[in-house]
Amino acid sequence: MANDHSDNRILFTVVGGFLGAGKTTLINRILLEQSEVRFAVLVNDFGSLNIDQDLILNQNSKVMQLANGCICCSLAGGLVDAMVSLMQFRDVIDHILIEASGVSYPGRIMDFARIDAELKPGLTLVLVDAVNLTSQINNARLAETITAQMESADLFLLTKTDIASDQETRFCHDWLAENQADAPILAARADHPAIIEMVLGATINTPQPALPPSLKSVGSKAHSHVGSQLHSAFETITLHANTPIDRAAFTDICRKFSRDILRAKGFVNFVDGPAIWQQTGRLIDVTPNAIPKSDEKKENRRTNLVLISSGALDSVQAALIKLGFQLGKSSIR
Amino acid sequence: MSDTIVFAAREIITMNASRPSATHVAIRDGRILGAGGLDEMAGWGPYTLNEDFADKVLMPGFVEGHAHALEGGVWDYPYVGFEDRWDPDGNRWGGLKTLDDVVNALKRAEAEMPDRTTPLFSWGFDPIYFDGGRMSVTHLDQVSQTRPVMVLHSNGHLLNVNSVILEMAGISPDTNIYGVLKDDAGKPTGELMEMAAKYMAYKQTGNPFFGGIRLPSLLRYADSAVNCGVTTATDLFATLNEESLQAYRDASQKPGYALRLMPAMSTLDEGFDEGVATLRRAMADNNDRLHYGLCKVMTDGSIQGFTGRLKWPGYYNGKPNGLWNMDPEQLTALVLHYHKEGLHLHIHTNGDEASEVMLDAIEAAQLEHFRPDHRHTLQHCQMADASQFRRMHKLGVCVNLFANHIYHWGDQHAAITMGPDRARRMDACATAMREQVPFAIHSDAPVTPMAPLFTAWCAVNRLTRTGALLGPEERISAQAALHAVTLGAAYTLRMDHLIGSIEPGKYADFAVLEDNPLTVDPQAIRDVRVWGTISGGTPHKAAKRQD
Repeated sequence: MANDHSDNRILFTVVGGFLGAGKTTLINRILLEQSEVRFAVLVNDFGSLNIDQDLILNQNSKVMQLANGCICCSLAGGLVDAMVSLMQFRDVIDHILIEASGVSYPGRIMDFARIDAELKPGLTLVLVDAVNLTSQINNARLAETITAQMESADLFLLTKTDIASDQETRFCHDWLAENQADAPILAARADHPAIIEMVLGATINTPQPALPPSLKSVGSKAHSHVGSQLHSAFETITLHANTPIDRAAFTDICRKFSRDILRAKGFVNFVDGPAIWQQTGRLIDVTPNAIPKSDEKKENRRTNLVLISSGALDSVQAALIKLGFQLGKSSIR
Repeated sequence: MSDTIVFAAREIITMNASRPSATHVAIRDGRILGAGGLDEMAGWGPYTLNEDFADKVLMPGFVEGHAHALEGGVWDYPYVGFEDRWDPDGNRWGGLKTLDDVVNALKRAEAEMPDRTTPLFSWGFDPIYFDGGRMSVTHLDQVSQTRPVMVLHSNGHLLNVNSVILEMAGISPDTNIYGVLKDDAGKPTGELMEMAAKYMAYKQTGNPFFGGIRLPSLLRYADSAVNCGVTTATDLFATLNEESLQAYRDASQKPGYALRLMPAMSTLDEGFDEGVATLRRAMADNNDRLHYGLCKVMTDGSIQGFTGRLKWPGYYNGKPNGLWNMDPEQLTALVLHYHKEGLHLHIHTNGDEASEVMLDAIEAAQLEHFRPDHRHTLQHCQMADASQFRRMHKLGVCVNLFANHIYHWGDQHAAITMGPDRARRMDACATAMREQVPFAIHSDAPVTPMAPLFTAWCAVNRLTRTGALLGPEERISAQAALHAVTLGAAYTLRMDHLIGSIEPGKYADFAVLEDNPLTVDPQAIRDVRVWGTISGGTPHKAAKRQD
């Protein structure tokens, strides 16, 4: 979808996953900590939210207005009507976050943002409970619902790995690897600051999409056979290019290796025009005709990209170098 | 002047096993003193004899165990369905047999609207009867090119809109969203399904059927009830917000209101504890004509919409299994919570897998917190097999079967959704009787018209719209079917001590019929005319039905 600097669309995020996977934990943290972004959070049950009474300005059975500018809405009566009602308050909302129930299809919910020009598609995050996934997929009543959920995730968050056995964690990893091919898998607490940062969608002024080293990734094909090595550290590389880049070929690579790209961010001087490229797993956001402030006066605009891996970067790195990129000095391997 | 009235009738079918038939019924203070011969009634002291119904047949007022008060509200908008229907005022809305008929009906409705921009909504449309013919913008643009025009399908899953709405919503050939249907040339046809596409349409027009219930709808609902002999009706998915609570209160306290209302609170609206608290607050409003206490649970979708959750082998045409409305684990927790609170659950289950999950949940709840007489009721429960009925019996579960489905969609169930074998056991009234499960039958109005004699006719004859006999083994007798729309339904609502039969102490609620449905040809049960009702002793004449 076309996009320009004056983009005032409301960012739209879907958080899916089964009961107990940590959706509410994440939402609680977002509501508690974010004061600059005015969130509208649509949840199944207000009762599950952990909100200080002092923070509540106003509440009826459907809407709760918080002192920090956020709004919580009940999904009772269905998402369609809840969204119709919510959009009447579009002027005071920066970001809509939907708690998708375990039996809904997150991709169908993200369609709201794909069809409504007032909304901007954001992250479709699916939380997977490392302790309970086995029993969930062995439950014939849920199996196909879970599999269908997997199709639309931009990013998987494997939660409860701290209390899951190595065997359970490995099973989850293998199962996800088998049932979905394209989205990175991260092991972290649902309310980890890095997750919140990704939900927010880092602003284009951030020099580098930093991730604290404590955040672990799983899903590296190279590491997956050894349980203790599931928790590999992230790799960060920077890439430059002095000559314009072929847009289609670059896009193909970023899509093909989306499983390995946790974040990618930077300025790419494409043959057909410059753009800011932001990627979180399968979610790619391109801001066309955008030029970093430092380069505004320069004639030769240099492509400058930071990649954070969620697996092995060797393949994507090789492919990009073939396309004309050079490895930067600040790469952390 | 005595306060005792004795009604004389050609015949009184009491549904009271110890006195099945009578000629007179005595009432006082809106309640029944007794039924029998005039000489027996005279023993209650001085009385006024009312012979207005001396040539009529009285039955216990019919009990509609599963309908929606929206039935009273939908008539604000034109009906564009395939079958003839009558509104609460008795006006006939002729069935529309072709897409052009639908267009012409909408044109007439459009011409009566005062301005050029107010949205025109219509409801009840079902393309399943048009041999694959689909409605598109080509049709609806003939209705108006300035006004948003929307047609809601009767299955609840689809909408048709005109180009005005498509344009407002920004839906174009470039829109690539599942649920925006397109023609061969890649142009959106105006047929919208799935949440995102419907959201975009409603965002432009608003959803007229969204939100709580209002007093005018409840008044019209009572009119509808009188027309078909119903004296107690559920509103089986009630949002208990302030506006709705006030509307129920006002309706039930309005002098001459002809209906006893039983709203079933939607358990989706709030968390478990909050929901229980809301219901308890509402129950403080209970009066003779308003009975809160029921709780509605939604589990799956519909069979004809392919959203019902089925056990193996699934849909006959190979469509994937349907949709859970909530995680089964969460549904199970919900059942336990409300069960422990002593509340009465009415649980929507269409597919047999949904029924199974809920039977498991009730069994678990009983093991944790035994209640000898909970009367939790599976609503619709269309595909339950005999083993599930046996479990219902053991668990004390009641069932309210969707008998009208056999007529309205039976052909499609045999051919497409369930296949000829399983379609025979749909809405298995005879199995319910055999396995001793207390049962009712229902219309789910406004999904199908509220008319208990028609519903009874369906259970007795099991004839589809095309006249096919669907599952002759599941037919039941007229006596059993009439029980299901009176005392049977009252039992599932825990109201059988107050309504459902003509017995001393119960409300003086009667259906006044022109003929005896027990003695007419079973195929003519649906043709028995309804004079109206007597509610709490007060007669209410049905609206004159336009032919």
